[in-house]
Amino acid sequence: MDSPILEACHITKSFSGNKVLDGVSFDVRPGEVHALVGENGAGKSTLMNVVSGVVRPDSGEIRWEGRPIVLNEPRDARALGISFVHQELALVPQLSAAENIFLGRHPASRGLVNFREIHERARDVLRGLGCEIDPRRPAGELRLAERQLVEIARAVAFYSRVIIMDEATAPLADQEVAALFRTIGLLRGRGVGIVYISHRLPEVFEIAARVTVLRDGKQVLTRAAGEVTPDDLVRAMIGRELKERLELPAADRASPEEALRIEGSLDLTIRRGEIVGLAGLAGAGRTKLMEWLFGARGGRAGRIFIEGREVMLRSPVEAVRNGLALVPDDRKLKGLVLGAPVLHNIALAGGRTRLFIRRGREETAAREWIGSLRIKVAGLDQPVVYLSGGTQQKVVLARWLHAGARVFLMDEPTRGIDVGAKAEIYDLIRKLAGEGAAVLMASSELEELLGLADRIVVMHRGRIAGELARAEATEEKIMHLATGAAH
Amino acid sequence: MSEAATPATSVKPYRTISVPRLLRKFGPLLGLVLLCGVLGAASDRFLTADNLLNIFRQSAVNALVSLGQLVVIITAGIDLSVGSILGLCCVLVALLLRAGVPAFAAVLAALAIGASLGAINGILLTKLHLPHPFIPTLGMMNVARGLALVISGGFPISELPSGFRFWGAGSLGWIPAPVILVVLFCGGFSVFLSRMTAGRDIYAIGGNPQAARLSGVPVDRRLILVYALSGFTAAAGAIILAGRMNSGFPLAGVGAELDSIAAVVIGGASFLGGVGTVSGTLVGALIMGVLRNGLNLLNVSAAWQTVVIGVVIVAAVWVDVVRQRAAQKRSN
Repeated sequence: MDSPILEACHITKSFSGNKVLDGVSFDVRPGEVHALVGENGAGKSTLMNVVSGVVRPDSGEIRWEGRPIVLNEPRDARALGISFVHQELALVPQLSAAENIFLGRHPASRGLVNFREIHERARDVLRGLGCEIDPRRPAGELRLAERQLVEIARAVAFYSRVIIMDEATAPLADQEVAALFRTIGLLRGRGVGIVYISHRLPEVFEIAARVTVLRDGKQVLTRAAGEVTPDDLVRAMIGRELKERLELPAADRASPEEALRIEGSLDLTIRRGEIVGLAGLAGAGRTKLMEWLFGARGGRAGRIFIEGREVMLRSPVEAVRNGLALVPDDRKLKGLVLGAPVLHNIALAGGRTRLFIRRGREETAAREWIGSLRIKVAGLDQPVVYLSGGTQQKVVLARWLHAGARVFLMDEPTRGIDVGAKAEIYDLIRKLAGEGAAVLMASSELEELLGLADRIVVMHRGRIAGELARAEATEEKIMHLATGAAH
Repeated sequence: MSEAATPATSVKPYRTISVPRLLRKFGPLLGLVLLCGVLGAASDRFLTADNLLNIFRQSAVNALVSLGQLVVIITAGIDLSVGSILGLCCVLVALLLRAGVPAFAAVLAALAIGASLGAINGILLTKLHLPHPFIPTLGMMNVARGLALVISGGFPISELPSGFRFWGAGSLGWIPAPVILVVLFCGGFSVFLSRMTAGRDIYAIGGNPQAARLSGVPVDRRLILVYALSGFTAAAGAIILAGRMNSGFPLAGVGAELDSIAAVVIGGASFLGGVGTVSGTLVGALIMGVLRNGLNLLNVSAAWQTVVIGVVIVAAVWVDVVRQRAAQKRSN
């Protein structure tokens, strides 16, 4: 067996007192695909940032061909031959595929770029990867899979010996995944080592020689892929000891009245007073589903019924009119008018049918929401930009309470919020359901879903992979469905 | 938890008085007062009742057009077509009057045409998904100016009925009629922006269009309304100008779009959207009027006046940037 090209030994890294990596060792050999798996926040990205020079470890050693090295910045890693193919593709859409491949180091003489040479070399590199993209086409016109190949070509043209692929297949269709795997096979044949980060366990077993599982910054397992089963990996990812449930909600508080029903390529019913959890890994389509339901995204995934009546939600305006509320995944980008005062943010969705604002009533109502949700603000005129994440999220919730919404679509409602505020948001969600609202709540934190939801619907690649009743739901079962390991 | 025990009604309006907040609110006004002081000291003809009324009268067209421009800029947009819409409406109203149409009907028609042209800007922006309001309004700027020249044959249409000329040249007691019109419009726009649902939507769209949309704000409809309002005020400006000049001339309002943008920006509105007030814009228009008038009295040539105004625009925005950066540093 070959000795490793790149080794990370006993790497430890803390961010503001929080241990993100705890003595993790990891290595890649020439011509090997080494898969790195773990839940969101397990430390995968940090580890890869360490070996690509973005983050400096607190302790531990990085070795290149057996010799210890120090990576001060990403350029050092690139110079050695370590490339990172990112999840969000980093191409300049206006430039051609060839120019993107050679971006920053165009072969040039006396300041003039030799385009013919670039195009020829780009074509060679792309052919070597088994694809026939015209290198003169602008990157923006390429399909997602083709853009990914351009990124990989970029890594190859750098003479990379280690390529890190972060969720490379997340945006790809099945046949495109197959093509990518062929490319990976070609790279392996040339002795390139590949670190393959993925949520999709079947892919890991298809392509990887070895697997490493991280959990909470610790290395839980490193084994040859042939020696482990998908079950082993799922268990390693979530840990044997299943964490305590948040709280057992009152049994069957949901009334039989249906609040929201979708029929079509997805089938889903939510009753009044019910909290339905929506689980799934990054890219499974949870945000898409919610935004589509809210009329904020085109397409027609099915028919929507609210309280038994079929409705056409062509825009958020109509969704709001029908009593829907969306708590978006990105508060700052989609949820709040940051520069505007608390009052305006709370009042924005309410009273839409009125021509004039009723100032006095609005202020009274806003004060009441601020009191009952314990929103910590200096006053109604304070711009929301200065508030903490938890307080901002409560302002978003207050907006929908003020608007009288009856069906709440919550996309990662506790993302980036401290523990105390999280507990308050949980209480609030329970209270909402207790008062007869229907809640569809997407979350990447399984504990949260297990603690709050009456049922958990699991998505995998844009479809509902399964549904688990509260009594039968476990982290293990959810992960099975979410990773596609169940099939 | 002491916060929990606090009764909800104790949440006070957050109106701390601080120098930066006062500066933000009254900065442009302070600039106007200082400017008047300096010009008053430099020329004894400046601070006379006649001259001040004259300034108001001369600033009226820009003030009206700027109100429409303000609403557009609050949405983080820009309207380059207001000068040309003003010119076209000027010609149209004069033609209608010469054709014997009663004054009030001609005025209503001109206002309706101005608002419709503005609405077309908004429709082009939202329904054709043009990338930036610069493009549809640049197109409209050329189209409207071209039409004004075509319809008029390039010549002014003079000798308008005196009943119509009242709003441009008349006065009520000693108050010039255009000034009355400006006050009425300011009141209307103030109510619209601060008391009406649509007005607040406009600030939300400028502050974060995505959040506004996901909160149920009908963004496209509001944007069309905003550009229609801008066309409407441009037409109102045309009525004053035609009355004052006693003619409808096709080159009326050349450069008015830039004057209005300058007034709005000097008045403290942000090009990034979400910020701007009627009072600030009014002060901005007056600063421009006072500068032109004062420099005239001091016998500064028109060429140099343009230079001074250019410097003032940049300086006003720069002061605002400095103030904002200082505020940011303090909050970090």
